[in-house]
Amino acid sequence: MENQDWIYSETVKEHFLNPRNYLMGDESAFDYDAVGQVGNPVCGDQMRMYIKVTDGKISDIRWKTYGCASAIASTSALSELAKGKTLDEALKIDAEAIDDYLGKLPKHKFHCSVLGHDALREAIEKYRTSQPGSAKS
Amino acid sequence: MRYNRGMVYLDYAATAPMLDEVREAMYEAEQRYFANASALHTPGHLAMNEIEKARGLLAELIGAEPEEIIFTSGASEANNTVIRTFEGCEIETSPLEHHSIIETAERYRGEALPKLYSYMLANNETGEILDLPEIDRSEFSGSPLFEVVTDWGKPLVTDRRKAYLHSDLTQALGKISLNVKELGLDYATFSAHKIGGPIGVGALYVRKNVPFKPLIIGGNQEGKRRGGTYNTVGIIGFGAALEKLKQERTWEKYDTEVRALRDELAKRILTEVAGSSLNTDLTPGKSLPNILNVSFVAAEGESIQLYLDAEGIVVSTGSACASGDTKPSHVLMAKTGDAEVAHSSVRFSFGLDSTAADVEKVMSVLPRVINLLQNISTVKMEDK
Repeated sequence: MENQDWIYSETVKEHFLNPRNYLMGDESAFDYDAVGQVGNPVCGDQMRMYIKVTDGKISDIRWKTYGCASAIASTSALSELAKGKTLDEALKIDAEAIDDYLGKLPKHKFHCSVLGHDALREAIEKYRTSQPGSAKS
Repeated sequence: MRYNRGMVYLDYAATAPMLDEVREAMYEAEQRYFANASALHTPGHLAMNEIEKARGLLAELIGAEPEEIIFTSGASEANNTVIRTFEGCEIETSPLEHHSIIETAERYRGEALPKLYSYMLANNETGEILDLPEIDRSEFSGSPLFEVVTDWGKPLVTDRRKAYLHSDLTQALGKISLNVKELGLDYATFSAHKIGGPIGVGALYVRKNVPFKPLIIGGNQEGKRRGGTYNTVGIIGFGAALEKLKQERTWEKYDTEVRALRDELAKRILTEVAGSSLNTDLTPGKSLPNILNVSFVAAEGESIQLYLDAEGIVVSTGSACASGDTKPSHVLMAKTGDAEVAHSSVRFSFGLDSTAADVEKVMSVLPRVINLLQNISTVKMEDK
């Protein structure tokens, strides 16, 4: 095929075609501490972020997505951004940060990066509430 | 003629690539028929002659009279024109219509008679061939729609009835044999770019003596039924595409060669791709022979479309995900009532240039793409 421009940036394309850290097949394949989920397949996109936490840091991360190219690229990018971060640092990775990392999604696809952020936040909050002695969510 | 060597183009139902004959005819027309076709001088007449040839061709192909054909800017304009003719009247449409019917009808429908029925003959997404409704053709006279007169005071509408029937034939033209009189149609819509003609040209069949209100007012063109300078070059391009339809009797090729390709792809998808199901009924007579709509459990349509695109395979999807307002295809929703099926759908639409190698290329890529998407999906296969 001719080398034509996509409507997506090279980074989005790269993450879509070669997604990082996805969880292949059954989720029991990954030993995770918490999972966050947003969206609904009926609405056309759903994301799930699985985190493994060691010494207060996200030591490993996987995701699953039912969604469009931007949704896949967003979750893939977020998994790269969050890996190795402390939970507080990871919470600061907002939709803009994902969007910047990807070299900007098309405007009408920005919500995909919002969903990614929400899924990770839910995973972190669930992890925290699951810890003994946690008083706040 | 193949665009882009290496590309497998299976989105003919969206737009068919322009035929070589059309491009050549339009190139020649740019030079020879540049004059305003309404002008009384010789170059104007020459241009008008070409327009009338195209009009005659379309009329012949659909079993109409040339004066029953109005050229428009496309199918959406033709659809708008018919619906807005019946402003304030009852308007019934099938749920599978194009948005240019559904949204226009929502805005302009009322409660008066006569009633307009708008039912497409063949659907653009699934290829389904619909049964046109039986309408009440009995006489009725109490409508202001019937009071339109010509410049000479003659009544324009002499065929006064309780109901009229419109059909959007955009997808059907060239794919199956058509006769507007046998179909009992009062109005019908056509588009050039679905048959290898240029984008920006369409036509409306308006049966003699039925109600009609021009959408674009201010000009004597098209017998005062559609104002605006004639799009001579575009209409000539449409004519060249129609000429090819007539010469090659394309509907026969679609029924044999194209159907065989479409059915082969369907068969292979069902055998080789897990979680696949057809949204198109392959039974002859139930669908256009060139359209195949398939859903893949747990795999989202836009992603399928773009993974295939990255491999040079061009298809379309019934999933549109934008601005968090994700609206799946209204057609698949109406047919299946299942948003996931709609979001997971892909349409393959073939043309006369499609080959067995295209099917082969799709099948060398598609199973791998679907498998990846299903494996990383939040939706589990076994839940389905």
